[in-house]
Amino acid sequence: MRYKSQSVAYWYFAAAMVLFGLQLVFGLLSATKYLGPDPLINLLPFDVTKVIHTNLLIVWVLTGFMGATYWLVPEESRTEIHSVKLAYIQLGLWLLMGVTAVIGYLFGYGAGNKLLEQPIPHKITIVVVMLMFLYNVGMTIKKSGRFTTTEGVLLLGLGSAALLYLPALLHYSNYTVSIYYRWWTIHLWVEGVWEMIQGGFLAYLLIRLTGADREVMEKWLYVIVGLVFIAGILGTAHHYYWVGVPAYWLPIGGIFSALEPVALVGMAIYAYSALRRSGLAHPNKLALHWTLGSAVFTLFGAGLLGFAHTFPSVNKWTHGTLITAMHGHAAFYGAYAMIVLAMIVYALPSITGRKEGGSAAGYWSFWLQLGGMFGMTLSFATAGIGQVYLERILGLGYLDTQLKIQVHFLMLIATASIFTVGVVLFIYDFFRHAPRFHLEPEDDDLKDRPTGNLRAETDPVKYG
Amino acid sequence: MNKRQTRLFAGAATAVSALVFLVLTIDSHRQFGKLTNADNITPAVSRGKDIWHAKNCINCHTLFGEGAYYAPDLTKITQLRGNTYLEAFLRDPSKFYDEAKYRRVMPAQNLSDTEILDLIAFLDWVSKVDNQGWPPRPILVAGATIPGTDRTVAQQQSVAATSNTQAATAGSVSTADDPVALGQALFNSVSPSCNACHSIAPGVNMVGPSLAGVSARAQQIISSHAYKGQAKDVAGYIRESIHDPSAYVVTGASYSANGISFMPNTYGQSLKPEQLDYLAAYLGSLK
Ligand code: HEC
Ligand code: HEC
Ligand code: HEM
Ligand code: HEM
Ligand SMILES: [Fe+2]
Repeated sequence: MRYKSQSVAYWYFAAAMVLFGLQLVFGLLSATKYLGPDPLINLLPFDVTKVIHTNLLIVWVLTGFMGATYWLVPEESRTEIHSVKLAYIQLGLWLLMGVTAVIGYLFGYGAGNKLLEQPIPHKITIVVVMLMFLYNVGMTIKKSGRFTTTEGVLLLGLGSAALLYLPALLHYSNYTVSIYYRWWTIHLWVEGVWEMIQGGFLAYLLIRLTGADREVMEKWLYVIVGLVFIAGILGTAHHYYWVGVPAYWLPIGGIFSALEPVALVGMAIYAYSALRRSGLAHPNKLALHWTLGSAVFTLFGAGLLGFAHTFPSVNKWTHGTLITAMHGHAAFYGAYAMIVLAMIVYALPSITGRKEGGSAAGYWSFWLQLGGMFGMTLSFATAGIGQVYLERILGLGYLDTQLKIQVHFLMLIATASIFTVGVVLFIYDFFRHAPRFHLEPEDDDLKDRPTGNLRAETDPVKYG
Repeated sequence: MNKRQTRLFAGAATAVSALVFLVLTIDSHRQFGKLTNADNITPAVSRGKDIWHAKNCINCHTLFGEGAYYAPDLTKITQLRGNTYLEAFLRDPSKFYDEAKYRRVMPAQNLSDTEILDLIAFLDWVSKVDNQGWPPRPILVAGATIPGTDRTVAQQQSVAATSNTQAATAGSVSTADDPVALGQALFNSVSPSCNACHSIAPGVNMVGPSLAGVSARAQQIISSHAYKGQAKDVAGYIRESIHDPSAYVVTGASYSANGISFMPNTYGQSLKPEQLDYLAAYLGSLK
């Protein structure tokens, strides 16, 4: 830790860890209800466990994003955070919002709009918290007078994420129109501005961990951002196929969303070539695992498995089946869970005073999570293929089909348990060392290199 | 490319895409009214939509294919079920599906009668939105069997044989004019579609009873004392069952309430008399 105020990141990460653990409890509960019969049907039915599962996911990932930003900005701008107090107030308000929302769901109080179930007061709180956060980070950078491209991309991503949440605050009397704008938030988040956030963290981590040249990394970061938006904005139309909008969205959705994986391929090459060409061996190899893992798993979960059902001719049959859950898990985990975990693992040695190399528990956690999530993806995939074939193509009833794919739900629970062991190890490893906020002198090796040095040939695409 | 150029690329790519997207959004708004029959969004439909949200139905079901995957898609549910059935189901879902058999059921939603009517109005509006014909084939809640496995080979041959004889006696008439074939097509295509509630496989009782062997049953029913309807023969009984389902109700707790059948009573208006004849011919042919 080079700046005292970076310690706020620890509390954000700690909160994210707790919420991540809780998310899995509700995921496992939901999955066992697939098998049924459900003894809790009247106390805690599926709709409640599922809404809590997905909402905790969004809350903990955003908590991780904010914590990681508070960690990154002081280093990038070489200054203390503008107001540490504001950062803590913001965290308190945010957690209050998250916890009361979950309690509300338990008692059947929510907006009942997929992924945007937060009641209006909570939605307003989310906007207020985001504004506090952006103000605090913005002032930090403004005071320091040093604004790097990595920060710029990250902040633009976070700012746009807040902006794109606004349509969710409005009320639409036409259900089709409300679906239309729901995707401005959900799709443009995960396949647009959140990818900027992921890209920003990725660039930061790669520069620190591999010593890749900043100028080159940031140049390619812009290219990736450009590719994300060329495909991602009009790619929104892959959610417009069957919801009552004009037919021209079908070809537009097919063409542009099929291009979305290009940016993800770019991101994976970006990470891989930075690693290959780097001269620096940073001792935190575990953080490198998570960083590279995130780029690769995103390519698999979002790029490959998103592509698998994005053409209208395929989506017509797979739409709204467990195939979507297959893709949703692998993509969300690879792109956003893993990048947050990478930032946490990178920051942990300096906030808790543990050794850089990563512990055995840390490595076990990495591989168990990866293996578990891969298995969960396969379970959802095989269940989904069975569902599409029996229910959608042959016309067997929904309930009868679900009975025929029970074995895949058993697989899901088994692999999810492996995944959960991995996460429990991660959380254990996180809390094993108490925080210890002491300052280290600037490490020359890790300091940014000036522009145009010898390493300028580290050109990820040319040599990728 | 240098950094300034790549930044320009990112900015320009985003700006152009966003612009095209906004223009298309404006055009979509121009068309929403017609595609979604916005004029039919009555206060009841709006209230139904609010109840749909408030009760969190979306986190078990999908609508337009969006939601959760724990319960069936409801986009076209009102075209598979009539109002009587949906009202009864939403009032008390536990009466309809056996948890021991299906391993998952819908919990009671504690809806008032007007809330139920509003929800059905909303779902009916949804079912009429022009959504490019999705789903490509009806998504049934339960029942039906994998084609080819629903009847024994002997049964399939007997239907085929009946059609053939009739086609043959009519001389040059093609199968397109064969009443049994026409009836079979209607069975799967009228709205609400019969096969969403009835299987033709023996013993497969869905929302309605299996129609295998209905002609033999019909014979017994019309000659029994309990029968108060007008039908004199099997074809008459089947026609009556379709245009006036409550004239005689098959016993079964989930088939009717207070003597009112859950089968839609709308076919009398929506089907032509000759279509009733075709259906009767088809069902009469199921031995
Ligand atoms: C906890 C999950 C859950 C919730 C919440 C839920 N449902 Fe269901 N629903 C089911 C299941 C499961 C079925 C399949 C039939 C069964 O097993 O009871 C079903 C079936 C249905 C059916 C079709 C019945 C048929 O036989 O055609 C309708 C209509 C329906 N639900 C409407 C709703 C509405 C409206 C809401 C919100 C007020 C709602 N459901 C909330 C789980 C749920
Ligand atoms: C919403 C579900 C539903 C739909 C759709 C439906 N039915 Fe029914 N049907 C029932 C129920 C429930 C019964 C049993 C109660 C009764 O006797 O009316 C029944 C009974 C019958 C019977 C009497 C069976 C017997 O054993 O006596 C016939 C014949 C029949 N339906 C034919 C049809 C035809 C033909 C169609 C399509 C035009 C159709 N049904 C559509 C629910 C449905
Ligand atoms: C980068 C990260 C991505 C994440 C986190 C992600 C996540 C998700 C989630 C959660 C859903 C379900 C949304 C809902 O129904 O509310 C979804 C749907 C979908 N995604 Fe992605 N996605 C990503 C990238 C992609 C990419 C690159 C493609 C295409 C190439 C894609 C194609 C699709 C399609 C077609 C659907 C609709 C599924 C359906 O019809 O039911 N996704 N995605
Ligand atoms: C113990 C591990 C987990 C289990 C057992 C589990 C199980 C489930 C289940 C049963 C659903 C409901 C699907 C439906 O609507 O029918 C679901 C939804 C979802 N989960 Fe998980 N989950 C787990 C972990 C995760 C993780 C780690 C993530 C992300 C990083 C995640 C992201 C999601 C998302 C995005 C959805 C919504 C998907 C959609 O609607 O398409 N889950 N999960
Ligand atoms: Fe998308």
